[in-house]
Amino acid sequence: MSKKLVVIGGVAAGAKAAAKARREHPDWEIVVLEKGEDISYAGCGLPYFIGDVIKEREELVVRTPEYFKDAFNIDVLVHHEATRVDVDKKEVCAKDLVTGEEKVFPYDKLVIATGASPVKPRVPGIDLPGVFTLRTVSDAEGIRRALLPKDSPRGMKGVVVGGGMIGIEVAENLKLRGLDVTVVELTDQVLPGFDFEMARLVQKHMEEKGVRVLTGEKVESIEKGEDGKVATVITSQRRIPCDVVIWATGVRPDTSLPKGAGIELGPTGAIKVNENMETSVKDVFAVGDCAENVNLITQKPAWYPMGSTANKMGRIAALNLEPDRVLGEEGGAKTRPGLKGVLGTTVLKVFDMNAAKTGLSEAQARAEGFDVETVLVPANDRAHYYPGYRMIVTKLVADKKTGRILGAQVVGDGVVDKPIDIIVTAITLGARVEDLQNLDLAYAPPFSMAMSSTIVAANVMMNKLTGRVKGIDPVTLKRRLGDENLQIVDVRTPAEIVLGTIPGAIHIPLNELSSRCGELDRSKEQVLVCKVGLRAYLGSLILKNKGFENVKILDGGMTVWPYEIE
Amino acid sequence: MAEVKVNARSLQCPGPIVKLFKACQGCAAGDVIVVEATDPGFKKDVEAWCKRTGNELLALEERDGVFIARVKKT
Repeated sequence: MSKKLVVIGGVAAGAKAAAKARREHPDWEIVVLEKGEDISYAGCGLPYFIGDVIKEREELVVRTPEYFKDAFNIDVLVHHEATRVDVDKKEVCAKDLVTGEEKVFPYDKLVIATGASPVKPRVPGIDLPGVFTLRTVSDAEGIRRALLPKDSPRGMKGVVVGGGMIGIEVAENLKLRGLDVTVVELTDQVLPGFDFEMARLVQKHMEEKGVRVLTGEKVESIEKGEDGKVATVITSQRRIPCDVVIWATGVRPDTSLPKGAGIELGPTGAIKVNENMETSVKDVFAVGDCAENVNLITQKPAWYPMGSTANKMGRIAALNLEPDRVLGEEGGAKTRPGLKGVLGTTVLKVFDMNAAKTGLSEAQARAEGFDVETVLVPANDRAHYYPGYRMIVTKLVADKKTGRILGAQVVGDGVVDKPIDIIVTAITLGARVEDLQNLDLAYAPPFSMAMSSTIVAANVMMNKLTGRVKGIDPVTLKRRLGDENLQIVDVRTPAEIVLGTIPGAIHIPLNELSSRCGELDRSKEQVLVCKVGLRAYLGSLILKNKGFENVKILDGGMTVWPYEIE
Repeated sequence: MAEVKVNARSLQCPGPIVKLFKACQGCAAGDVIVVEATDPGFKKDVEAWCKRTGNELLALEERDGVFIARVKKT
C-alpha cells in the first residue's frame, strides 16, 4: 500500500513540500489541506496588487488546485481547515468550510505549513470597515475595492500603521495610486532590523516622495464617521483623517494546531524544528512561516518569516521524509539535506530607493555582546564616468576580535541586491574583512566600480581595525554636539558649505588644512567632516602628521548625516 | 544675457557643484549657466545650492543618465 503524506497549508512552503515530495515519491498519496481560497499565491506581490502594478488576481496565483492534480497528481482541498492533529493515531481532522463536513485524513508523514497571521492588537476601532490587514489575495482585493468607491482613488487619504517592510511597500503603492499617505510607526525609526541612520535614508526618501512618516507615535484608537466606516486615526499626538487604514504591524506564527497536538514550540513562539525540518514528534515536519529558524551568526533560535526561506524549508522537508532511502545506483548521497540557518536577509524597493540587509545590525550585534567596528561608506554602484550610475551607502558590521563580518546594510538609489548578496555569501562562508577586500568581483564600467563599493567598504573597515583611521558615527556625534572637548571641522569646498553643515562646525577646506591647522585647539578631539568620508580621511592624515592626537572622521559624511544642518 | 555651458560630466563629488560655483562667480546677473553632470548627487545639490544662494533653477532634467541644470544668476 502506498504511503500517505498530508500537508497542512498550501501557500509557499506547503505547496513546495508537496510538489517536491511528489518528485521524490511518485507512488505516494499526497493531500494538501488549505483553509483559504487560494494555494501557492505570491504573498510578497500583494502590495503591488494594491498599487495596480499587478492588475489581475490570476497574476498572483502561481498554481491552482487543478494544476496540482493534473501535473503532480496531488489532491489539493481548499476551504479545508485542519482542526486537530492526533499524532498517536497519525491522523488530521479537517473541516470543509463550505459544507461544514468533518473529515479525517490518516497520514504516514505530516508536513505542517500553517503560516503566519497579521498581528492585530485590541485597539478600539480596529475592526471597522475600511481597516485592513494584508496577508491574502482576498485581503488585497478588499483593499482594491475600498480604493475605488469612485473612478479613481486620487485624493483619498490612507494611513499605514507600521513602518516595516510591508508597511513601506504598501505606503509606496498607495501613494502611486494618488492617495495622501501617512505612515505611523511606534518606534523611532522605520525598518526594524536596519540601524537608525540607514533607516533614516529610507524615511527621508519617502518624505521627499510625499509620504508623511510619523515615528515614535502610537495609534490609540480608530474612529468611524457618520457612514459607519473608518474616518479618523487617533495617535498619541494627533488625529489623522482617513478613508482607508492598512494595519501592518507584523505577523506571528500560526501554531494553535501543533500546540494542541503536543508538538514543541521554540522560544520565538514558532514550531521548533531541526535542520531537516523535523519537529519534536516523529514523522511530523514543519516548514515556512509557522516554523523556527536558526540565526547563522548567533546560532540561536530566530524567526524570519520570508518567502525565500519558506521555499527552501519546504524542499528540505520533502527530501527528508524518508531520509534513509538509498539514492542512486551507487547507493551514495545519503547525507541528509538540511538548512543550517539563515541570516535574516531582506531587500526592498521604495520609490527610487533600494534597501537591503543581512546578518546582524550594529544594534543587534552589540545586544549579542559582540565588540563591533562599523563603517558607513557611500560609493557608486557603477563607474563614475558611466552615465546612469547611482549612489549606494554600505554599512558593514565586523567583530573587532576576530575580524569576522557580522552583518551589512546597503541603501541607495543604485543596485543594492548585488552587494548584499556578495556579503551574504561571504558571511555564510565565515568570511573575515580581509577575505572581502580581495574578492575577484566582476568589473566593467556599466556594472561596477574598479574597486567595488563592497571592497571599498571592506578597505575602510580594515583601515579602522588597523588603527589607520578612527570614526565617529552620526548618532554618537549628534549626542555629543555642544561638547566643549569636541571640534567639528568641515573640510569641504566653499561651494559645498553653502549646502549646509553640521551645527557648530568650523570650515577649513582640505587644501588649506595643512597651513591653517594652527587655528585648531590641539587639546580637543577633532571630528573631520566631508561629503562621503574620503576627504575627511585625508584630512585626518594631515592633522595626525601635524601632531594632532585625537582625530576622527564622521562616518558616512554629510551623505548619511540624518539630522538637521545649518 | 549670456549662456555659459559647463561640462561637469564624469566629475564626482564635489566636482559639479564647485564648477557651478566658479562659473557663477564669473557671470553677470541674468546670465544662464547650463551644467551637465553625471553625478547623481548633483541633482539634490543643485536644488539646495540654488535655494541657499538665491540663484534661480530654471530647469533640471535627466537625459540618458546625464543631469542637465539651467541656473540663472540673480
